[in-house]
Amino acid sequence: MEMNTAYAPKTLEEALQIRHDTHARPLAGGTDLMVQYRRGEGAAPRFPWPVLLLCGVDEMRGISRDGKGNVTIGALEISADIARSELVPWHVRQAASRMGAISLRNQATIGGNIGNSSPKGDLPATLILLDAEVELASIRGTRRMLVDDFIIAAKKNHLEDDELITKVIIPPHDFTYVWYRKIGTRRANAISKLSLSAALTLDKEGTIIDFRASSGAAGPKVERSRKVEEMLVGKRIDRIDEVLPAFLDAYDGVISPHAMPEYRRRVTRNMLSYFLKEAGKRPAGKVIEETC
Amino acid sequence: MLSTIEFTLNGKKVGVTADPMKRLLDVLRGDFGLTGTKEGCGEGECGACSVLKDGLLVTSCLVPIGACGGADIVTIEGLSETARGKCLAEAFADGGAVQCGFCIPGMVMAANYLLMHNPHPTEEEIRLGISGNLCRCTGYDLIVESIKLASQRGEGLWK
Repeated sequence: MEMNTAYAPKTLEEALQIRHDTHARPLAGGTDLMVQYRRGEGAAPRFPWPVLLLCGVDEMRGISRDGKGNVTIGALEISADIARSELVPWHVRQAASRMGAISLRNQATIGGNIGNSSPKGDLPATLILLDAEVELASIRGTRRMLVDDFIIAAKKNHLEDDELITKVIIPPHDFTYVWYRKIGTRRANAISKLSLSAALTLDKEGTIIDFRASSGAAGPKVERSRKVEEMLVGKRIDRIDEVLPAFLDAYDGVISPHAMPEYRRRVTRNMLSYFLKEAGKRPAGKVIEETC
Repeated sequence: MLSTIEFTLNGKKVGVTADPMKRLLDVLRGDFGLTGTKEGCGEGECGACSVLKDGLLVTSCLVPIGACGGADIVTIEGLSETARGKCLAEAFADGGAVQCGFCIPGMVMAANYLLMHNPHPTEEEIRLGISGNLCRCTGYDLIVESIKLASQRGEGLWK
């Protein structure tokens, strides 16, 4: 009987050595890979390459915040713990709390969600919004890059075959208003049809000093356009109606899905427009509720 | 390659020699004869194969046995021997929660996990607690009511 080859290291050093020597591919929670390589009822999945089972590497766990406000999340942290942690920024907690169902959130990891590099990945959409970085380690050393740069397209990223994603670092932000909405067909275990993460920062006079948005399931990767975002910088939120049409037209160009582009553009327009108009009313709370 | 994996299963130390990527689900059913854990979808969507791994509710169809070294696994058979399990079983029977029964072990595992973290859930919280478990017979209402019944009768059991 043909068998899989798998390694179960206990330390990061051991894991990196195995990764270097065998190019075994990492498996963290397994919630994507175990489905991808399944062979039907009662059968063991068959992986075309050796597997590096990372769940025993405790060094890759932990959530912490440094003195400058940077939040570091170990690659093996599961969605359930990320959703619960008060150290983790709002958008990331929102996305984590709506991934899959309870059992999936107890297995799926942030490192796996980034490594899988799906345009529908819920955590990458918020990490890209927040300019988060991944730390990549190998026996050669470590390097960091923006999650936005790390993910190239669906299932494609810059991970070298001797590297592992070890942690995610999220810089601090002080947004005035925030928005997150995931659209799926079932409350639990829905793969995003579309998501929008957005944030707005205003100065005391109500002038926009930072606006950002990222769209999940809207193209070959999570889509974000700094150029389109900048159209709103310097504009007054109480006069958002004047710039909204041109901005929404430009944002249409950010949405380039393989299917149903009209639907995804229209719903994105609705969400962006709702978020900005509600923010224009200057509500006391930071979170614009997704009641539209 | 074959790996020997040692872990705790329903309170007993056990070992199994298997393909390390064999699913925990198949080890439970095939190697240990614990057929209360069901395979529904095989993709982590239906919850029929739910077990506790180190105190966390997981779908055993997505867990390779190679990732279970040293783990503490509790299945429906293990739970059913406890006061919590008996309380849930009686409540499900009295509440008429069971029709074909295929989803029920997973439902009971999810209900127990919910009550472990929230001994007195509202109806909404119960529905969220079992939102990862699919039932194609009942329409869920009697399952929700039975979990409510268990939480009332099981005063002190979960906290």
